[in-house]
Amino acid sequence: MKMLRNISCLTILLSFFGTIAFASGMVWSLKEAAKPYEGTTVDVVFLLRPGYEAIEAMLPAFEEETGISINIIKHPYENALGEQVRDFVAGGDLDIALIDLVWIGNFAENEWIVPLADIQAKFPDIVDPDLDIDDFFPLVLNAFGGWNDVVYGLPFDNYSGLLFYNRCTLQESGFDTPPQTWEELKDVYGPALTGDGKYAFALQSKRNETQSADSFARMLWPFGGSFLDADFRSNLNSAESQAGLKFRQDLMQYMPDGIVAYDHAETVNAFSQGDVAMITEWSAFYSTVVSPDTSKVADCVEIAPEPKGPAGRKPALGGFSLAVASQADEAEQAAAYLFIQWATSKANAREYLERGGVPARQSVYMQDGLEDFKFVPALVESWQDGVPEFRPRFAEWPEITEIVQEWGTKIMLGEVTTEEGAQEIGTRMEDVLEAAGYYSGDKPLAQ
Amino acid sequence: MYRQVPRKTIFTFIGPAVIGLAMVGIAPLLYAVWTSLHFYNLTKLKRVEFIGLENYWKVLTDEVFWQAMGRTFFLLGTALPLQIALGLIIALVLHQPGLTMLKTLGRLSLVLPMATTYAVVGLLGQVMFNQKFGVVNQLLGGANINWIGDPNNAFFMIIFWDVWQWTPFVALVLLAGLTMVPIEIEEAARLETKSNWILLRFVQLPFLVPGLVAVLILRTADTLKLFDMVFTLTRGGPGSSTEFISLMIQRVGFRGFDQGLASAQAIILLIITIVLAQLYIRVFYKEV
Repeated sequence: MKMLRNISCLTILLSFFGTIAFASGMVWSLKEAAKPYEGTTVDVVFLLRPGYEAIEAMLPAFEEETGISINIIKHPYENALGEQVRDFVAGGDLDIALIDLVWIGNFAENEWIVPLADIQAKFPDIVDPDLDIDDFFPLVLNAFGGWNDVVYGLPFDNYSGLLFYNRCTLQESGFDTPPQTWEELKDVYGPALTGDGKYAFALQSKRNETQSADSFARMLWPFGGSFLDADFRSNLNSAESQAGLKFRQDLMQYMPDGIVAYDHAETVNAFSQGDVAMITEWSAFYSTVVSPDTSKVADCVEIAPEPKGPAGRKPALGGFSLAVASQADEAEQAAAYLFIQWATSKANAREYLERGGVPARQSVYMQDGLEDFKFVPALVESWQDGVPEFRPRFAEWPEITEIVQEWGTKIMLGEVTTEEGAQEIGTRMEDVLEAAGYYSGDKPLAQ
Repeated sequence: MYRQVPRKTIFTFIGPAVIGLAMVGIAPLLYAVWTSLHFYNLTKLKRVEFIGLENYWKVLTDEVFWQAMGRTFFLLGTALPLQIALGLIIALVLHQPGLTMLKTLGRLSLVLPMATTYAVVGLLGQVMFNQKFGVVNQLLGGANINWIGDPNNAFFMIIFWDVWQWTPFVALVLLAGLTMVPIEIEEAARLETKSNWILLRFVQLPFLVPGLVAVLILRTADTLKLFDMVFTLTRGGPGSSTEFISLMIQRVGFRGFDQGLASAQAIILLIITIVLAQLYIRVFYKEV
């Protein structure tokens, strides 16, 4: 009798604590949540970059725990948008959309991706109670994953522009600290660090997204310029925008010849070989420049925030979120969400960082033992000052970036003046925006 | 004695091939014509609408399109004469009597450039013409020539690779033409003159004309659709210096996603190619 009473008490206690535990989400487990979707295959596009290699290395743990297979289709950045657009238009296989911050308007307006809240409402059992969406840097979540105040994607491969500099080279020329402003970089560091086949700086400017994002836009914002004004008209011939574009022309004397042919790979390589003392690159390339396997200057690499301009720091902002594709069937959508949630989780952020990725979780950067990751302080600072509209994020960007790439390069080559180039870009950009219906009022001014 | 073949039999044999060709050749062409008459942007499929000839008007009045076209014809005008001249020299050398083993090796080695994938040629070019590490600058005595980043040098580089890859083709076609010259006629001509030029002009050239016309048509069409090698080598840059017409069409259609406009550009390019081919045939065959 006593034993029966004890068992009853234990059962009641277990039920009680079990209920509390369930209510507070403590019993949620990835394994249990994924059980109904075991055997599902999720198709996703990855880029050939360190952050993707990091998550790929972690993937076996996810697949083992969930029984969900992740089929990765790798593309270089330049092909990723086209491949995904064609897949979504054709109702293809992709279950997850990999979204650069400038693609999100396009993807959201075409309803190729599902709002996060819709997925969570549809599959409440798979939502990790520890998702803690507020833990993402607000700027990053908004810029990479949000569109018109709706969150679609969770930040996955996250970048801020940083100043990578070669401490040894700078010290040899008498500089103990990196330049604080763009003017200082050009007028003080430029002449001192250029000569004998070495250059002070390299600004990746190849005619693709690199030209518009890493080169053209990078020089607009710190000088107070922008692509568009409040009325959505071109702002490229404003005094501030022109100051930035002219500054870029002046700075070219301290860059390697043929800088218009430099993409990320060439720029990072020039820095890693010790030919260039400073570059402004995405945080994602940190692991490449500090690895002795790929860098001759690994021991000399230091990181600082991008220099300030007259309008402030305004560093380049870029990065990718992952969102569930609307074309996926129910099981694939749930499995896709589970993968996205896992890949961007707080719990995995540290391992992702250590394997070469850059998580957007605030909590991971508050942990101890991050001294080896020299880019962290600069990154955190940059994500406070970033401009979400560093490149306009509306659906028309793919057309506009082509215009900027063409004429931005012509400006750099001296084929047209900064004024002529800005005028040409402005006119063509406004044509695109007019055709899209922004000026007639058919479409609200997006940003 | 011929017996009338039943129509059913003819259709049975030819029909599958015609249907196959129609599906892979004619249907996409008709679809391209249809999209060229519409506003058809892959990222704005909700707004697809019939716009008549607006895309064509846009193309014909677009300065950038004609600049790309001009660049393409400049490439054709520089690379093709070089290919024909070098190809003819190689063919004449290989046509000489004797040295059989060497000539066989020569013929075999001519196939290599043609067998190399266009995209691989572009990637090879990136490495070989690298300003700092490239073998080309090393061979030029450690020169510091910026090949890929300079508009003129980049254009020269494209000409170089096009000539490298397609001169062997011209050489093989012309060599085939030279073997068609009856030996007795050639020997009789040699008794009449010692001038190789006269022999070439009045005896060999008439036999080379059909091959030359084929070369002109094929190389013109190839140059007008030259894409892979340039895309991997310069991606049309720096600036627009190597943006040939096919790269422009790809940019508009697959990077700007404006399939309607890109289709109109492609149709106009097709018309130009057909007109040129007809022109070659009429002009050169008339001479014969």
